[in-house]
Amino acid sequence: MGRHIVHRSLISIPVLFGVLAIGFMLLQVIPTDPATVLAGPTASPQEIESIRESMGLNEPIVYQFLLYLSRVLQGDLGRSFISNTPVAQELGTAIGPTVELMVASLIWAVPLGIMLGTFAATMRGSIVDRAVVALSVAGVSMPIFWFGLILIQYVGTEWNLLPYLGRAGPLWTVDGLRSIALPAITLGGIFVGPVARMTRTAVLEVLGADYVRTARAKGVYEGRVVIRHALRNALIPIVTLVGLQVGFLLGGAVVTETIFAWPGVGRLAVGAIISSDFPLAQGAILVLAISFIVVNLIVDLTYAMLDPRIRKA
Amino acid sequence: MKNTAATGIAAVLAATLLAGAAQAETTVVVARQIDTDRYDPHISTARSTAEIMFMAGDTLVTLDYDMKTIRPGLAESWTVSDDGKTYTFKLKQGVTFCSGKPFTAADAKASIDRWLAHPKGVTKGRAGPVDELTAIDDHTLEYKLKDPYSELLYQMTQHNHTIINIDQVNELGEDFGVKAFDGTGPFCLDSWEPRNQVVLVKHEGYSWGPPFYDNAAPQVDKVIWKVVPEEGTRVASVKTNQVDVTQYIPYWAIPEFRAAPNISVSQAEAYFWTQYVGFKITRDNVSDEKVRVALNLAVDQKALAESIYFGLAEPAYSYISPKVLDFNEKLDTSNFQYDPDKANAMLDEAGWKLGSDGIREKDGKKLTLRTYGFAGTLNRDMLEAMQGDMRKVGADMQIEMHDATVIWGLLAKQDFDMYAMSYPYVSTGDALNLYFRSENRPTPNRMNWADDQTDAWLAEANSALTDEARAMTLAKLQTQVHDAAVWIPIVHEPLFITTGPKLKPVRAHGIYGAGLYKGLGLAPK
Amino acid sequence: MSEIAENAPATAQGGAPAAQELSGRPPSPFRRLLRDKVAVAAGIFLILVVLAAIFAPFLAPADPYDNNIRARLKPPGDEYILGTDTQGRDMVTRLLYGTRTTLLIGFTAVLLGGAIGAAMGIFAAFYRRLDNLLMRIVDILLSFPSILFGLAIAAVLGPGVDTLIAALTISSIPSVARVTRGAATVVMQQDFMEAGRAVGVRQTTLIWRYLALNCLSTILVFMTLQFGQMILLGAALSFLGLGAQPPTAELGTMAAEGRGFLSFRPHVATIPSVVIFMIVLAANLLGDAMRDVLDPRMRQ
Repeated sequence: MGRHIVHRSLISIPVLFGVLAIGFMLLQVIPTDPATVLAGPTASPQEIESIRESMGLNEPIVYQFLLYLSRVLQGDLGRSFISNTPVAQELGTAIGPTVELMVASLIWAVPLGIMLGTFAATMRGSIVDRAVVALSVAGVSMPIFWFGLILIQYVGTEWNLLPYLGRAGPLWTVDGLRSIALPAITLGGIFVGPVARMTRTAVLEVLGADYVRTARAKGVYEGRVVIRHALRNALIPIVTLVGLQVGFLLGGAVVTETIFAWPGVGRLAVGAIISSDFPLAQGAILVLAISFIVVNLIVDLTYAMLDPRIRKA
Repeated sequence: MKNTAATGIAAVLAATLLAGAAQAETTVVVARQIDTDRYDPHISTARSTAEIMFMAGDTLVTLDYDMKTIRPGLAESWTVSDDGKTYTFKLKQGVTFCSGKPFTAADAKASIDRWLAHPKGVTKGRAGPVDELTAIDDHTLEYKLKDPYSELLYQMTQHNHTIINIDQVNELGEDFGVKAFDGTGPFCLDSWEPRNQVVLVKHEGYSWGPPFYDNAAPQVDKVIWKVVPEEGTRVASVKTNQVDVTQYIPYWAIPEFRAAPNISVSQAEAYFWTQYVGFKITRDNVSDEKVRVALNLAVDQKALAESIYFGLAEPAYSYISPKVLDFNEKLDTSNFQYDPDKANAMLDEAGWKLGSDGIREKDGKKLTLRTYGFAGTLNRDMLEAMQGDMRKVGADMQIEMHDATVIWGLLAKQDFDMYAMSYPYVSTGDALNLYFRSENRPTPNRMNWADDQTDAWLAEANSALTDEARAMTLAKLQTQVHDAAVWIPIVHEPLFITTGPKLKPVRAHGIYGAGLYKGLGLAPK
Repeated sequence: MSEIAENAPATAQGGAPAAQELSGRPPSPFRRLLRDKVAVAAGIFLILVVLAAIFAPFLAPADPYDNNIRARLKPPGDEYILGTDTQGRDMVTRLLYGTRTTLLIGFTAVLLGGAIGAAMGIFAAFYRRLDNLLMRIVDILLSFPSILFGLAIAAVLGPGVDTLIAALTISSIPSVARVTRGAATVVMQQDFMEAGRAVGVRQTTLIWRYLALNCLSTILVFMTLQFGQMILLGAALSFLGLGAQPPTAELGTMAAEGRGFLSFRPHVATIPSVVIFMIVLAANLLGDAMRDVLDPRMRQ
């Protein structure tokens, strides 16, 4: 097990490098010249040129990349063109709200999805099954921004139940909890469907497997069959799915953060790319990618713990 | 039972009162659409910057609601020499910065000097042709010009003239206006989270507000400027009172808010903010004046004003509002009236022949118009509607919408045929100086209008010693630039402010589109 | 060998395996799909939508680009059945053309991305030496949330239909690859693969006949579901201003155009959103039904 962890962690290094390289390259080919942006609209060509020079933008690209790498390794992500604050600091304040939003979304969406999926699978063909399938399919088919706007329109405006204007405080305060409710319902809402349908499929698959049939034949109590055998084995694809969907969730988070003015990394990243805030965009991509790699690692390890075949290997 | 109920109600009431007493602090939430890049009056022209500068800082003179009358600010009085070159300001006593530092004439001098010396300083023309500023004593400032500049006092009400604490500038360097800002305004900058919010707190002891406000001192403890980019969210947040005050309300919601019992809507009585589409006249396809006139005739401003702006904006047939100081009443606006048939005829005449795809061509080149615009629902709807008008005369208008933070850089690169822009101004001279001076190419003179006669008239108007003389010169100039059809004027926009039930209705001010101006109108009911 | 008979060729259309013929000739998967009323309804709906999109120029009552701003934001009613949009254009017409653009984007992206992704997944599972390399590439691709891809590509290419297709294609590759690899790994562990190897079946046959065919159901189901997701992602990208540019009719862009008027004239954003929802829903329902029918293990 320990070896597995070390192995998996080592494998992440080239991935990280690739992420850095792609992030760097992508922003290299952007037609907007960072020096022009930094210089401002009234700058003369000479001023722009001197800024280019001082930023090292005239150096060979490989050199620029190495320079970037060495700075990143020292924890220096540069300064935002727009606010002139260190990127690390901007990201530091934005990562908390994003993690909060993700956790608040997953914490209810995943258990609910697993529950609904399991129910549906065990009662295959029943009205419950149909309802869950219909609901989950409807859920995955819903454009997220529309879902969010509908929530704002009804829950927020017409019924005036919950706020929707950004983060009012940390999660453990009443204001904080109230302010995260609608964003978390929006982002979690698009997640219940995929989890429920995948759970249902996975449980059904396992329920049809030989060892379940054997267990049943041996007269093992049905609830025990479902939980001990079916659900446990079904958790593997579910965990994979949740891991896989972190990118999807981040995408959803970008839209959710935009609609609800939630001060997270997603909103920051989009804003940075749109406003050609070169260092901030690079930093945000790096942070998003690293968090993905970490989650991916955790998923792999959980997978290994759940699946005895991999654990032994 | 009744008794219990009554006791219960009494208890609740008492609790509410107690809570009210304990919660004496008033916080006002203001919603805005976008943030700015930095809160530095000398290197940002953005309205978002001005909004905070007016509240966190002060100018020597201020502008009344009518946008014509100059009132005292940090200066309690002033005199102008006969040759129009020397302005002497008597400054108020007992004024302090938020940091506690006393305000003196040296601060005023240092502020303007820093602006004019700053390599990234913007719109320095607003300072006039400065010769030298001198602090005669702690409370007397001499503002000396090389040539007369009859607009100086109007310009001195603008946010670029905000007095800053130069010690802080020297201390913070690049971080000035980002990490902190020290001004003498009614509110102090407490914190700024870029793209999220700006928190201002009451400036304790402030009592030198301009006379056109009921209160010379701030009436609320905290003002939170919250960035809410989504239009629909802003509307909803006003309805639910999550936002107390905002001027960023789409036009379609105005009638609804006017009818709402607990929301007041105030319209600025004088407000000069004009939406136009400018031509870059050095581009081949729009270098011909005939083509520009024809494209102007193709656009139906009235339909735009009535449908896109819901009848709340005024269709524009001139580059500046007819209500502004020095507007030429006799201006010929026939170039800007809607007449698609004449437009088609003029384009035919200019050699642009209709192609098989409905787009005109000349010398094998299509009549395409690459157009830059700011991203946003209203702008997009307006440009799309214009696009439809243009198609009817065989012009292919290609719209590129860009975010407010990136478009300035793109505009500076000058790779467009047309650009959509809206701009604030205090007077005719202000508007024309900004856009038509040849030395202001390529920014903000994005049309690349370069004309010796224009420059001469501008100089003449600026140094005119009487209002009449200035108006006469500016009238000639207005005729010249309107005849050349370098812009398509669209609408003169109104400014509305909505106030929720917590506050007394705020009266909208038209200055630079920053409707709350000093924020002294914010007061609990 | 009985294992192979039971599992391997079962997914091949029409190629009913001997073992099953003996056990009483079940109907072909297609026939079974026809028995599923929901799937049939979803399928018919999708076919109608595709036909409507193809024949939009003949069906549309008006010109999709002829704006009439004096008639803008008209609610659904007698004059305009579904109302007009922000430019006073007939909603029915805009929807027909919008669906055309949206479907084109979705199909192109899913077919391109799905083909590349599936190939990567299968090769990764079959050639263990390639696994690490391919999956790391997939990991890197997955490390960029699709929306960031969209933004970055839009920054390079400029917003537009091409940008959407490119962004959606790239973002659909890694997940298809992963899911395919997951399915293929399971298949690789089945005895018949080893048996196939043992009896000397050729590698190409092993990959395409045994491995790919057994993964096909998973891939098809995933791609069908992916199609829906791609349309949703496209809508989200449009929402952020990277979709088709005005005046192009595209469902996501149309919804985005109307979102500013949601509480004022809800039909402008709602109608395209509902159409997106229905197309995605139909694709998902069909995907589900296909899964039930095509996957042999699901059959009771």
